Amino acid sequence: MNEFLFSIGIGLCILVFFVLYRVVYGPGVFNRIAALSAIGTKTLIILLIIGFLYNRVEMFIDISLVYALLNLIGTLAAAKYLEMEGVKQ
Amino acid sequence: MIQKSDDIIIKTLARILVPFIQIYALYVIMHGHYSPGGGFQGGVILAASLILLMITHGVKDTQKRISEKAVAIFSSSGVLIYAGIGVLCLVLFGNFLDYSTLAKILHVDPAHARSYGILGIEIGVGLAVMAVMFSVFFDISQGESSGEDKEN
Repeated sequence: MNEFLFSIGIGLCILVFFVLYRVVYGPGVFNRIAALSAIGTKTLIILLIIGFLYNRVEMFIDISLVYALLNLIGTLAAAKYLEMEGVKQ
Repeated sequence: MIQKSDDIIIKTLARILVPFIQIYALYVIMHGHYSPGGGFQGGVILAASLILLMITHGVKDTQKRISEKAVAIFSSSGVLIYAGIGVLCLVLFGNFLDYSTLAKILHVDPAHARSYGILGIEIGVGLAVMAVMFSVFFDISQGESSGEDKEN
């Protein structure tokens, strides 16, 4: 079971780099925001997998909950900023 | 300046989510000495809930719930709790923040007195961090609007 989780974690770590490409070179701001949000979600899952590997899930669930929360608020704030810029133009 | 959002999905989401975020923040503060987290982290989550409210419902609606005066009182009372517990330990012939001397007041054994002392410190830190984070965010959003007005 541990090897399975470990390989899934490594796979997610590699996938983060593919999404990071969209963040850096992605056409348009919306692609970048969506990619950032996806990276946040992947990080959350990686954190939970680390928790399973260390047999201390109850600790890592706390951290990943906070991460999900701040990810949501960050995405909302970026979207709000874009909305504001659109109003000005 | 942050305006009121017209999107009903975002507003409903924020209205439902904010109480749960605040309960979670209180959990992080209260369990700071058993699990990851503590005063600072809990305070940041509390401030994040208020910032979410401000982003979705606008500055005026948020100020109805928590005014700038209340933020100032919260931040200074948080520091007062922190420093007060520290000085209380000094008064009881211990070092600064030496919680075991609190056992003389609380009538418990020193180990429990340390636990309660850390809890008090974390509540103070959480209050101060929440108020300062929120006030920094508030001031930044206000400053941006005044700059735009000058440009126009």
